[in-house]
Amino acid sequence: MNGWKDSLGNFDPNALMYQLPFLLIVGFGLLVLVLEAFSKGSSKRWLMWVAVVGIAAGFIGAYLAWKKLGVMVPGDAQVVLDIARGAAPPSTDIPYRELFDGMLIFDRFGVFMNIVFLVGALLTVLLVADYMKEHGFEFGEVFALILFATAGMMLLAAANDLITVFLGLETMSLAVYVLTGSWRRSPKSAEAAMKYFLMGAFATGLLLYGIALIYGVTGATNLHTIATEAPKVGSNPLFLIGVFLVIVAFGFKIAAVPFHMWAPDAYEGAPTPVTAFMAAGVKAAAFAGLLRFFGHALGNERLVWGPAGWGSLMWLLAIVTMTLGNLSALRQDNIKRMLAYSSIAHAGYLLIGVVAAGFGAKTAQPAVLFYLLAYTFTTIGAFGVVAWLGNRGDERLLVDDWAGLGSRHPAAAMAMTIFMLSLAGMPPTAGFFGKFYIFRAAMEAHQQLAGQTGMMMALVVIAVVNSLISVYYYLRIVMAMYFREPARETSPLRSPAVALALIGSALFVLQMGLLPSRYLDMATQSLIGR
Amino acid sequence: MTRKVLLAALCVASLAPVGSAFAEAAPGTAPAASEARKVPRLSISPSKLSFDGPGSQTVTIKNTGTATLKVFEIRLLNEGRPDTKQKDGTPTNLPFKWDGSAPMAQDLEPGKTLTAKVKFDPAPSQKQGVGAVQVICNDANLRAMPESTNDATHESSAYGAGIPLRAGEGGMQGWLLVLMVFLPMAGALLIVLIPSKAGKNVFRFVALGTAAVTMGLAVYLFMHFDRTVGVANGNYGLQFVKQFVWIRAFNVEFFMGVDGLSVTMVILTALVSLIAVGASWNIDKQVKGYFVMFLLLETGMMGTFVAMDYFMFYIFWELMLLPMYFLIGIWGGPRKEYATIKFFLYTLAGSVLLLLAIIALYYTSGKPGVLRGVPSLALSDGTPAAHTFNIMKLTYLNNFEAASSILWGIKFSHLIWIGIFIGFAIKVPMFPFHTWLPDAHVEAPTAISVILAGVLLKMGTYGMFRMNFAILPEATHWARTALAVFGVINILYGAFCAMAQTDLKKLVAYSSISHMGYCLLGMAALTEQGMVGSLMQMFNHGTITSMLFILVGVIYDRTHTRGVNEFGGVASVMPRYAALFGFAFMASLGLPGLSGFIAEFLVFVGAFNVYKLLTILAVTGVIFTAAYHLWALQRIHLGKFNPKWEHELKNNDLNFREMAMLVPLAVIVLILGFYPMPALDMMTTGMKDLAAFVESAAPAAKGAAVIAGM
Repeated sequence: MNGWKDSLGNFDPNALMYQLPFLLIVGFGLLVLVLEAFSKGSSKRWLMWVAVVGIAAGFIGAYLAWKKLGVMVPGDAQVVLDIARGAAPPSTDIPYRELFDGMLIFDRFGVFMNIVFLVGALLTVLLVADYMKEHGFEFGEVFALILFATAGMMLLAAANDLITVFLGLETMSLAVYVLTGSWRRSPKSAEAAMKYFLMGAFATGLLLYGIALIYGVTGATNLHTIATEAPKVGSNPLFLIGVFLVIVAFGFKIAAVPFHMWAPDAYEGAPTPVTAFMAAGVKAAAFAGLLRFFGHALGNERLVWGPAGWGSLMWLLAIVTMTLGNLSALRQDNIKRMLAYSSIAHAGYLLIGVVAAGFGAKTAQPAVLFYLLAYTFTTIGAFGVVAWLGNRGDERLLVDDWAGLGSRHPAAAMAMTIFMLSLAGMPPTAGFFGKFYIFRAAMEAHQQLAGQTGMMMALVVIAVVNSLISVYYYLRIVMAMYFREPARETSPLRSPAVALALIGSALFVLQMGLLPSRYLDMATQSLIGR
Repeated sequence: MTRKVLLAALCVASLAPVGSAFAEAAPGTAPAASEARKVPRLSISPSKLSFDGPGSQTVTIKNTGTATLKVFEIRLLNEGRPDTKQKDGTPTNLPFKWDGSAPMAQDLEPGKTLTAKVKFDPAPSQKQGVGAVQVICNDANLRAMPESTNDATHESSAYGAGIPLRAGEGGMQGWLLVLMVFLPMAGALLIVLIPSKAGKNVFRFVALGTAAVTMGLAVYLFMHFDRTVGVANGNYGLQFVKQFVWIRAFNVEFFMGVDGLSVTMVILTALVSLIAVGASWNIDKQVKGYFVMFLLLETGMMGTFVAMDYFMFYIFWELMLLPMYFLIGIWGGPRKEYATIKFFLYTLAGSVLLLLAIIALYYTSGKPGVLRGVPSLALSDGTPAAHTFNIMKLTYLNNFEAASSILWGIKFSHLIWIGIFIGFAIKVPMFPFHTWLPDAHVEAPTAISVILAGVLLKMGTYGMFRMNFAILPEATHWARTALAVFGVINILYGAFCAMAQTDLKKLVAYSSISHMGYCLLGMAALTEQGMVGSLMQMFNHGTITSMLFILVGVIYDRTHTRGVNEFGGVASVMPRYAALFGFAFMASLGLPGLSGFIAEFLVFVGAFNVYKLLTILAVTGVIFTAAYHLWALQRIHLGKFNPKWEHELKNNDLNFREMAMLVPLAVIVLILGFYPMPALDMMTTGMKDLAAFVESAAPAAKGAAVIAGM
């Protein structure tokens, strides 16, 4: 619509409004860096509040951008509801705006994802300050890095071109590599950062190869152009290899099996709040990219299915990921590793949504968005409780360390129970609705394929069996907390910020489970433009 | 031993004529009044407004029925989309307008008509328009609608359809069920708010009060439940309806109501919960948390039985699972961790199958070829919906068999049936999904065993009636024989296992499995007698088995053992205990004159015409049932008193609390044994329609004859 040249010749400052969250976050990130460099004193805890203000400003920016993008059709929320009920959406009516010659696209999908990232960043910032203090490594730069990583995620969610996809992914990843290794004295942290970095670099290489091949075949890096070109070149082996490489690269980022081997070590070694950030934010950003590229641009039935379609590949990836993730989690005694594998399994569930979106299931995109929001609150909450419980030199990561928490710290145990139930997908928590929407979307895809193949149905059945398996290890923690006698003393972090983050996420998890309407409506309105 | 078995068999045989009197009386219990009852019927002509250009048409709304048609709202629809913003009927976004004044919503006497003109006034670009007038009224005669009116244009809208009675028809009564469901939750909140130092008795009495008020409401429900109302009278035969939209984007409604099936279970739940509060009195550890969980459990159970929206049903179903998990896990016996996780995983496996089936039904509902007659899947506020979770609409408006494709070599509707069935069979529990039950019972505290056996198991059979039978009747015919076979296996296998137990609680647990087999056999008969018998058995088992578990708890509290062989001659030191023990065991083995017999007899009578061989096998189960009951009774109560328990049992007969729990249950068992009419009336109200509905989906008579030969 508004190309770069238009903007140059007739610069429209209003266009910046769409980028407001991104600009604010970058701005505050830089501010934190500067303040850190010029501040005296050893405690950098106060920088947390600068970051919090920045994130709050980001929320306001997201709100303004959301409003500015307007509703779908003049005065008609009904269309949104009709889409939710299965009617075909008037796809041309979804408001969006392309900037910088189509390199970036701003639509409500992007804004919703921005909100997810901001939630992740906010909770992480609240958790990390006192965690660092307790464990004796305080860097003001951590806050800046979190903000920069968030900015990278926002770029990825707004990317409308494979080049900007790459830019966003790298901006995010570089910041997270450093965050992973930020606990310098811990050898595990260093090991985690090293592994994560090597694997990440490898994935980056594959992504670039993939982009190059796709460019070679279609002559474009713009997602929209690729979408129109792809059906013509769909069976070209070079194109298929390119798509395959992109899947592999994203597979590394979301830790899908078999590209997951870095994840448990990286998750275990990283400082716990950073682990939470990796599990929620990084994953959400990668899924934003997956939905834009695969769910939307390549969402042509000829490309999705068949022996060489990306859908078959991702179908398999989803099954392997959730099954192996869950089975491995069953055997973990270390809670951080258990949650790492659980996060792998959740990537598998989310992949179902991407496959369903590829088939044009209208509910798939909103389902993934809702799931990501719910998952962000839940998983950061869960890691937050883990971070809260540990002391210097004693992280209390084993399940047995949690015995009797229910009687010692009822509020924390209750919060952890809510998070575990949400991860397991039990009502009345957000996780239940997240899973429900995903399964519903897959069933919708099944209905659209009616009679042709039962593969979507099979996918749902396997997912259901998996969520059943997962209940066992989530409940292990609940059982330890409530059914066993306290084993030893605990002296968890005394931190209002951490408490705020935990209580806040627990309340949101409950609210999204009891009154999901508002969030679902919002997700339903957040369709990908163009 | 053999002599006693023979004696028991003789007892059963000699009193059979009494039973047959009941059996004959049963079908006649529902008065024929419902045939003559007046019914409103809506007709709208033309049902669909088609315009090829600007113009106007006259629409006639007529009551062609015999009762007053209550019209709540009249709306204009534009290709299925109502204008929800304008109350005065002059929508701005729609090209349709009322020509002149909008028709007023009013009561239409039989034969009366209401006319209004509709004007098509489109934007210049629009040439053609399709719309309709939507009337929201109390006509619910949906089963009479012709099946041939399916066509694709109906898919997303509610053209001129009479949308059945909306919420609020019951006036204040509509709130009764809401109150019954959420009162326990309010009680739980109250307990949370009371500080822990208030003392254990405060929590106990709050819980007792909550459960007692709920029971009072259940009594009111029992008195005011109209036993003459059926599906033909509109509202799908539901009473005390409360309905409004809950999650709009998702077509989920808050929809509560009761028919004969639900009301029986609601009353049972209230009763057993009240009794179980009494049985919880000696819980001493974390009393506050215990009663919070207990009352939440009651909310979950209540909600499951009154929810008429499949999604809401599922939420309550899961809601009940969590408190149960904690109740066994925290207050349970030594192997509680194993028992709870097993219970949880088994039940959850069932739940997720249900969830899948729910989503599948949702997406299949409302499709062309699935929908019966004029579609009206609209939500209760008139918003059209393409799919529905409404159990009643899934039942009566959708014919899933009609458009079932084949998946993995089996009809899709059959696949869904199996999914739902396994989900519920785990809860029943049906062989081979039963192994969680004895473990859970042995570890659970007495009160929780009472709830578990008294109410939770019934959720399985309730769900089978509500989902398998009602929503997929054709598949039910397809699977009925398997259902009957599993029922008989349950009866015999449960009885044999019970015979081998030395732990009294395990014995009672296996007897539950055996007794739930009668429910399965009765429902498989698909006759009204069989189904009513099955429901009666659900209720009676709930009361009788509650007594049994309380009795087991009584002796366990005193001696801390439940070994059947460790006692002897208890009757000589605890006469009251022995009397009630004997009474409960006799009721459980099906002694005529007590309520258990009525239900078993109805089941046998209902099933015999259909499954002769299987029924005969099942009747032999009565002998084994008598055997293990009498055996246990004899070993505990007769013979020489074991002096080991001198201190624990002597002069330690039932106290007031225990009597207060047991005697009311015994009275109910006795009354229903001699005069079951009040209960049978109530149950028949719902079962009659359900049986007829399932019958209407029967395959050709030839197939039925083959089955009957079994």
